[in-house]
Parts: sequence; structure tokens; C-alpha cells
Amino acid sequence: MALIVCLLLPRFQLTTAAGGRDELLRGPAALAPEPGSQQVGEVSLAAEAFGVDPGMRLGEALARCPALSLIPPDPAGVADAWERLLVRLESIGAAVEPERPGLVCFDARGLLRLHGTRVGGDADRVKGVVEAARRAVRAPARYGVAPARFAAVAAAARARARRPVIVAGGRREARAFLAPLPVALLRARPALAELPEALERLGIRTLGELAALAPPALADRFGTAGVLAHELASGGDGALRPRPAGEFLRELLELPEAASGLQLERGLGVLIDRLLARRERRGRTLRAVVLSAALVERGGTWRAPVVFREALADPVRMRLALSPRLALMPAPAEELRLAVERFGPPASEQRALLKDPAAARRERLREAIRQTRAAAGPDAALRVLEVDPGSRFPERRALLTPFDG
Amino acid sequence: MSGPRRLSVPRRVAVRAGEDGLPLEVDGRAVDGVRESWLLEDRWWTERPLRRRYWELVTVCGRNEVVFHDLLSGRWWRQR
Repeated sequence: MALIVCLLLPRFQLTTAAGGRDELLRGPAALAPEPGSQQVGEVSLAAEAFGVDPGMRLGEALARCPALSLIPPDPAGVADAWERLLVRLESIGAAVEPERPGLVCFDARGLLRLHGTRVGGDADRVKGVVEAARRAVRAPARYGVAPARFAAVAAAARARARRPVIVAGGRREARAFLAPLPVALLRARPALAELPEALERLGIRTLGELAALAPPALADRFGTAGVLAHELASGGDGALRPRPAGEFLRELLELPEAASGLQLERGLGVLIDRLLARRERRGRTLRAVVLSAALVERGGTWRAPVVFREALADPVRMRLALSPRLALMPAPAEELRLAVERFGPPASEQRALLKDPAAARRERLREAIRQTRAAAGPDAALRVLEVDPGSRFPERRALLTPFDG
Repeated sequence: MSGPRRLSVPRRVAVRAGEDGLPLEVDGRAVDGVRESWLLEDRWWTERPLRRRYWELVTVCGRNEVVFHDLLSGRWWRQR
């Protein structure tokens, strides 16, 4: 039987976006709507007391709580902080499956011999794994342990800081643990978001009542959603699908003068050149990247994941694919970042039937640059790029960027 | 990861100036003449404003220098 550990950091996005401004979180506060949306994000405890819920329309939230403080969302900061936390968990050997920022699960069976206590059953030994995770994460997280993911998430939601809730045993024990809990917990699954309301209208208020129903009857009434809900309420769940261990490769460019338009495009060109020149790329193409920016005047951050139609290592085509995204940025940027999310296969060069002398020269030059970089690092071959040629401040006009051959 | 290398980054320089702010010596070399002087102000709306008085000078050894006085910190910088 699996031994799923769930780590829950309540209000992770709100806390990250607030930064060190803890006094904001003591009062009623909520994440401001993302550009193009009208719904507030995560809300503070004080805001919840006013009846403000995550996902509520901004107008309704302000009507319920006129003193509500709106914190600009920080998607790039959240993604960075979350990635750092996942890497720390992976450093203890956990194969993690992140569900959303603030909620992650991993199977502790493989870690019992590494971190578990030496005496007792699995339920006692898993405390050592939880302790190892706590030391690695260094954040006030809540931990739940159960034989299935859904039950582990429910256990984490009921846990307190430094007091994990551990559901020992198998499916039967998980079902018994879930029985008194409300069906509203099913909302955590996007596929079941609408189901709790219908169940409550039919008088089914707890997961125990749901599990007592016959699966065929639920399938008749609710289709696959009903079958899945019954499986979850009965202490079961699908197997975890841990993420593949990734590599973190990122370049950033500080823009001393809040930049937009052409300057931003040139800055993007610099980032692409620098990313492609990194030794860690090892000749591989890029399949998916994340373009992000810190906005001026503490306007939060902006983040745009981009998956290329085909894996690329050509800076010109990458610029063509990424430049239109810059126009979607809601405000000028103080800092621009480009990170690799997924690599593609190594770049291959198809040889032409008739050799073009200019192409041969370019190929020789590229090979020379590659060898120079291998020996002396990514800064071995540089070119001058005019970032802001019209600036009155000479140090802003040009910078050195890797020569792309 | 190292940051991008900017060109024309200002470097500290020792300047002796008169009471009116006019540079008299740059790195121990007397100033022969002032070719041009201009004032730059920027980012005054942020917490890190910039205020610089630039001087393009010729020293007695014939060297052409561009220096500026940071009007906020009071330091002198050379810039090419």
C-alpha cells in the first residue's frame, strides 16, 4: 500500500506576493485579479471572516469588505519560490507531484529506510520522513499522511503546524478517516468542482454518506464524476505521477530604466543569446521556456510560459516566437527573465548537397566559437549589442552579449 | 550566473574642483580647458533618482576626459 505524504502551505501565493509585509496579511487582504480577470485570488484569514472567498468577483469582495487590501499578484515570484521548495524536497529523495503552488504530494515508501525511524510500523517510521521534509523545506507547512493522495490532502488540511495527521493502515482506515468530513473537500479536484453542491442538495453531506452509496447508482446519476467521487470517498485514488527531475537554467537582465517596446525586445535578444551560450545546455534545443518580468513601481510580476511549436536552438526563431508575448506585459519592466522549462533533443545540422562557401565559413566560425566557449566559458566570444542607443546615460546604451555565430 | 557586461560603466576618479564646481585637476593632471558641460536628471519619480553634472575637459597633457559629478552622493566619476 502506498504511503502518501502531502505538504500543504496555506495561502502560499498570497504570502509570497506580500513579501515581508506581514502587517498586510493580519488585516483583510486578497490577491488582486490577474490582468483580464475580475476574480480575486487567495484571501487572508481576516478577509475570510468578512465572507470574502478566493475566486469571488472583485466588486462583490469589496462590497463585503470595503477595507480589503489588494496585493498585486506575483506569479513569477510564486513560481520561483515554489520551484525552490520542490527542489529542497527532491534533495531528500522525494519524487514529488506538485498539484498547485502550496500543495505537493510524494510517496514515502522509498524513503522509509533512508529517513524513517528504525522502530515501529510504517506509520511510526514515516514520522522520520516528515521530519526530514520539514528540515528541508524550512517553511511552516502542514503535513498529512495517508494511503491515498485524496485522504493525504484531507489529512494535511486538518493538520496543524508541527503536528502531522497520519492515517495508518490501508483503504479501510482511509475511508474511516474521511467518513465524517464534508463532501465540499471534493472541490479540490477540478473535475469534481460542481459535484458537492448537487450532492448537498440531495442531502449527502459527508464523504461517509457518499461512500455508502452504490457506485452504479452514482454512475447513473453523475457519470464518471460520480464514480471518481465514490472512489475518493472510499479511501482510494489514482497513483501519483511524479514530475521528472528538471534542470534550472535561467538568465535575467536588470533594466535600469523601466523598459518597454523596442528596448524590451533588445533585452529579450540579449537573454536568448546568453541562455543559448550557457554550457549547461550541452547543445540541446529548447522545447519550453518561461518569460517573466518584474514590473515597475512594485507592480508585481508578470509570467508567460511559452512552448515552441518545435524544439529550437535558433536565436532568430526564438525571438520571433517570444517577442509578441512582450506586448502582453501590463506595465513597463524593471527586470526581464528567461528560464528553460524543458529541453528538446540535441540540435542536429543537416548537410546540404552542394556546399555553400559562406555557409562553410559560418560553420567554421560557429565551431571555433563553440570550442572557445568550451575552453573559456560562455563569455569567451562576445559582441556589442545596442540596447538603448538613444539613452542620455552612456552606460545604458550598449552591453556585451554572447556572439551567436 | 553573471550579469550582462555593460559598456561605458562609470569608474571612480579623483577630481579637485573649485568653489563653483568647475574641475581644476583630474587624477592629478591640471585642467587646461572645458569643452562642454551639461546636466542630466532622470528617474526623479523613483526612489533611485539620478542627478549628474557632466564635464568634457582637456587636461594639460592633451588628454580628453569626460567626468561627471554625482550631485546626490557628491562623488566624481570618469566615463568614456
